[in-house]
Amino acid sequence: MGDYALLYILFAPFVGAIALIFVSNRQAMLVRGIAAGSAFICLLASVYLFYAYDHVKGGFQFVQKFEWSRQLGISLHLGVDGIGTPLVLASGILLFAGIFVSWHVKDRAKEFYIWLLILAAATIGVFMSLDLFFLYFFYEMSVIPMYLLLGMWGSHTKKYNEMTDPEGLKQRDSVGFIFNFGSNSKEYAAMKLVLFLSAFAVAAFMGILLIYKYSGLNTFDILVLREHANLMNIPVLGTTLDKIIWLLIFFGFASIAPLWPLHSWSPVGHAAAPAATSMLHAGVLMKLGHFSIIRVAFEILPETTRELMPIAAVLCMFSIVYGGFVAYYAKDTKYVIGYSSSSHMGYVFLGMAALDYISLTGAVMYMFAHAMATGMLFAMAGWVYDQTHTRDIPSLGGLSNRMPFISGCFVIGCMASIGVPGTINFIAEVMIIVGSWNKYPFQVIVAVVGIVLTLAYLFKMMRGLFYGPMDQKYSHAHDAVSAVDRLPLLIMITVSIGFFFFPMHLYNVVRSGVDPLIAKITRVVPVAAETTGLRLEARGDNNTALADRSVPFASAPVSGGRP
Amino acid sequence: MNFSLTMSPSDLLLLLPEILLTVWLCGILIVDFSFPRLPNEQLAYLSVAGLAATLGCLIWFDVTGVAGTLFANMFVLDRMALFFKMFIVGSTILVILASVDYIHRFRFFRGEYYFLIVMSALGMMFMASANDLLSVFVTLEFSTFGFYVLVAYLREDMASNEAGIKFFILGVFAAGLLAYGISLVYGETGKLVFSDMKSAQATPGLAIGFLLIFGALGFKIGAVPFHSWIPDTYHGSPTPVTAYLSIAPKGAAFAILLRMFFVALATFKPIWVLLLVAASVMSMTYGNIVAIAQKNMKRLLAYSGIAQIGNVLIGLAAGTKMGNDAILFYLLTYLFANLGAFAIIIAVSEAIGSEEIDDYSGLGRRSPFLAFSMLIFLLSLAGVPPLAGFIGKIYIFVAAMKEGLYVLITVGLINIVISMYYYLIVVKKMYISEPHDPSPITVSGPIKAVLYVCLAGTLVIGIYPQPFADWVVSATMMFSGLADPAVSLPVPPAVTPVGG
Repeated sequence: MGDYALLYILFAPFVGAIALIFVSNRQAMLVRGIAAGSAFICLLASVYLFYAYDHVKGGFQFVQKFEWSRQLGISLHLGVDGIGTPLVLASGILLFAGIFVSWHVKDRAKEFYIWLLILAAATIGVFMSLDLFFLYFFYEMSVIPMYLLLGMWGSHTKKYNEMTDPEGLKQRDSVGFIFNFGSNSKEYAAMKLVLFLSAFAVAAFMGILLIYKYSGLNTFDILVLREHANLMNIPVLGTTLDKIIWLLIFFGFASIAPLWPLHSWSPVGHAAAPAATSMLHAGVLMKLGHFSIIRVAFEILPETTRELMPIAAVLCMFSIVYGGFVAYYAKDTKYVIGYSSSSHMGYVFLGMAALDYISLTGAVMYMFAHAMATGMLFAMAGWVYDQTHTRDIPSLGGLSNRMPFISGCFVIGCMASIGVPGTINFIAEVMIIVGSWNKYPFQVIVAVVGIVLTLAYLFKMMRGLFYGPMDQKYSHAHDAVSAVDRLPLLIMITVSIGFFFFPMHLYNVVRSGVDPLIAKITRVVPVAAETTGLRLEARGDNNTALADRSVPFASAPVSGGRP
Repeated sequence: MNFSLTMSPSDLLLLLPEILLTVWLCGILIVDFSFPRLPNEQLAYLSVAGLAATLGCLIWFDVTGVAGTLFANMFVLDRMALFFKMFIVGSTILVILASVDYIHRFRFFRGEYYFLIVMSALGMMFMASANDLLSVFVTLEFSTFGFYVLVAYLREDMASNEAGIKFFILGVFAAGLLAYGISLVYGETGKLVFSDMKSAQATPGLAIGFLLIFGALGFKIGAVPFHSWIPDTYHGSPTPVTAYLSIAPKGAAFAILLRMFFVALATFKPIWVLLLVAASVMSMTYGNIVAIAQKNMKRLLAYSGIAQIGNVLIGLAAGTKMGNDAILFYLLTYLFANLGAFAIIIAVSEAIGSEEIDDYSGLGRRSPFLAFSMLIFLLSLAGVPPLAGFIGKIYIFVAAMKEGLYVLITVGLINIVISMYYYLIVVKKMYISEPHDPSPITVSGPIKAVLYVCLAGTLVIGIYPQPFADWVVSATMMFSGLADPAVSLPVPPAVTPVGG
């Protein structure tokens, strides 16, 4: 343990996946045992990581560095700061829970666990990469398992099944297939997800390559680049290079977040995915976007971030409201949760856009909180689907008699997702709202309206699923009775509620990562003005005002805001 | 011009791999004639043994650093020539192993098949050493000669005959271009050896001459607009020959292209970069877009091969030592992924008698091993981490980025996404679609061996590329005089990990 904690977390799922290759599918318990065992090691190590992270010291800890390619200047440089640590923990929890949620997968279970483990490991890899190349490496690596998980174990949406002859559609593999919005088959969802994410990932990679080229340091190392790369004031195409790089990186990674209007792959993908995949997808995969923006754009281009982050503040409103309304009218349980996730990711963008200590801390905590809440909801939607073979809310109802445990947990899940006091989501939401109020009051009002929307669609879904009259054809539905089925939900509920009562360590850890970042971003203008005297004029009054407003925070970065 | 052909025994050492293979080649033919009842597998293993001995000899040369020139600079043996020779011999071994199962489809001349394959390998080994326009012509035609026969080897199959005719007519046309180009260049400069042409003046005759030579070599590597023979020939040829055609001649032709552009034409770099950029953009875009519409695995890989060559040309267009390293590295990754994919096509067509993509439905259930291997190879071709093809693509892009070829990189990155679509269509068939016929598919021993080698290559290069990168860097040492930012690496400033 100790210094090698990151290697355990990263490689335990990989080793588990490799071990599974050599096991036959007929030994079902062994397959599950290996998957659960490797996930458990990963979980234990990430819990250790979370509590061993020294928030007083801050910075990147548990650093491991191995040279990987001299010619390209790449090293496997791992390390976590206060922002990565809770996300690694969330990934560990969701992977472990996901293995148990998919305990009953019968068809090619071994392959399912292999891809699930690779997906989780790749996601975790992004959260601990301190090298731009490996950040992209793991990011790309997490996309392909999604294709197979969605395609092989996913399910078609209702619209698709209603079509008279879904398989008879000719030319489904042709180019038209990509634009065939009518058929929400799982193949369509999987292909759309991969192409969408890859297309935007290569845009981000173009930005990474530009950083590599113009820094002239022949390295992809984030720690070197953030201190020595000087990408400012290089005129390109009528604007400056740093803005082009920032936009490439921001929109490249915001597609997975997903920020409106780049969200359309996400709900389709959620709906098609099996429960465990949806959990990881909504719980941690979507956070790759925010995390990568923070890690790359915030760290390496702080000045540009200050200038251009208002873009996120504008787009996040559309995310919140649009996602909320679609979720309200959606009839498919997973669509509701999927759109609610994409709506809730707007809050994270709001917290990031405000560039404030409290709001960014809240945003990172919200990522963690949302991972638990949405994980619960997807796990339960998956359970209901397994029992009833439908996700159509109007045709369901009254299931609380058949599954009291699930319906009870569902209430908690809804509460957590809404952000009711008693769950960590509440603290995070309040921090985002309080922190952003100074800078973006209008967006905060929209966000509060969004909470009301969340309440409306989640309660509507809860009523539709669990209360009211029950169709007799669902009378065979079972509750989650065995420990294996209850364990994942109990873990996530415990974490969600536990951190509400004991949030200080989470807060301190996140804050230790946020403080230097915001201090750097907000301090940039005065420092630059002192040294050159030229940049301030070029930038105009608007930004100076923004910088001044954040000075009180900057002057007391460590103690300010800590309860 | 007079040649001094006096040779000492130590000069002969430089030719040892070729001599060894020539002797073995005759041996194969004699054994085939002498023991007509000998099973064909034995002949295959005999060829493999000879090639393995040659490979061992090449590795010995590489390790001990044997190098030199022969025949008044016509034949050069350096690290790059050794790299490409190993590349060619290695791919020949894999192709012969992959064809053991396929050979029963030939009604006649089964023994001669191995002879022809090894003979082409010999020709291509000479190509890797060609340092002079005359030896380029002779070796190129020598190696293509074997392929003319091999492509049409399925005598009763109309497609194979058509492929042979198409390949022959266009090949001869390309040979004509090459001869004409050589005569123009010789007429303008009076020189034949590449290194003597460094000081040549830019004249229209010289430009047209080199353009014609590039056309002939473009035909070999299948770059747009010299690609038109590729789809039909790949489709009609016996599958092992397609596999061979898709990798070995491309490697050999790149050896010549590298020598030509970086030795003979180094001073004209600003001009030929434009030519290569155009060829690269067209190859990538055309290959990938047309590949989307394919219904046949071999045609799919044919078009994807055109696109892959477009990627390699990005490295050539970078025009730096790092770009050349990237080319060698990329070809290495392409060797494993492409040969592996073709080996699976052979295995599947042996079992179900079809090469249509639709018949790959449910391969994941019928043979998990084949489907998994195909997945790995296709994803490597698409450039997905942690597989070799990803590192190859990144290497090429980084090299091009250092030279500021933004348009080319943008086109290349967009093409990665396009290519992902058609590779995933195959993955979808294999894993998501249900099989038409659920009977399991068994894989024979030699194909398994090929697949294990290719899987190991694809995964090891992808996960730990450093030794291979070192190898290609040392192989292109001859180009280290090129202006290259990578030569004087700035040492990244040390930084402490703590401190936020």
